[in-house]
Amino acid sequence: MRNRIREQRRQRGLSQAELAAALGVSRQTVISIESGRYLPSLPLAFTIARFFDLTVDKMFDPDDEETGA
Amino acid sequence: MMTFISPRLRKPAMYALAGLLFAGAWLVHGGRLWWVSIPAVILTAYHVVRLYRLGGTDTDEGARAGSRADERQQLVSLRSRALACNLTALTSFIGLTVSIAVWASWGWPFLVTLLITGYGYLFGLGNYGVAEEGTPDDEDTEHDARFPLSS
Repeated sequence: MRNRIREQRRQRGLSQAELAAALGVSRQTVISIESGRYLPSLPLAFTIARFFDLTVDKMFDPDDEETGA
Repeated sequence: MMTFISPRLRKPAMYALAGLLFAGAWLVHGGRLWWVSIPAVILTAYHVVRLYRLGGTDTDEGARAGSRADERQQLVSLRSRALACNLTALTSFIGLTVSIAVWASWGWPFLVTLLITGYGYLFGLGNYGVAEEGTPDDEDTEHDARFPLSS
């Protein structure tokens, strides 16, 4: 699952720690989500999408290679 | 009661309580080995201080020690505990089997541990929703659930 969190975060000039504080998660979790090592829960995915004023499907794209679709 | 304690103090407080209970048991019924309670208290104090300091660090371990783990850290912790439980059940089964094979009397703790882990697993299945089968949508509604777009 690919996502646009890093791109959106950099566009807004936020650090990972600032984004983590805004989302109510740890900096390590932001790093894990950005790198695709951790898939956030649905509530957290919505929180992330709303924070960046995007929809969830715009924020997260299924990665064909990883999902095997 | 835990809500009255600062999150960072919760785990250290639990370890302090457990360590003091362990030390107290040695002191009260340890006989000639009552002195074991002294290193037990020292080790507990060391561990409590270490845990409190760890709780202030910006790491996954620090978040867990400081009782402020987010969903990913809780998931990692949950998986680790599940692995520990699996290993406990496996070890108990092996121990019980060996004790039966050699017809030894020391097998009952393995049996108790195996029963507790097994019951805990079944209790978890029931408690966390596996038993909620529900009814198929077709039985609940008068509409044709298979072709909702057909007119």
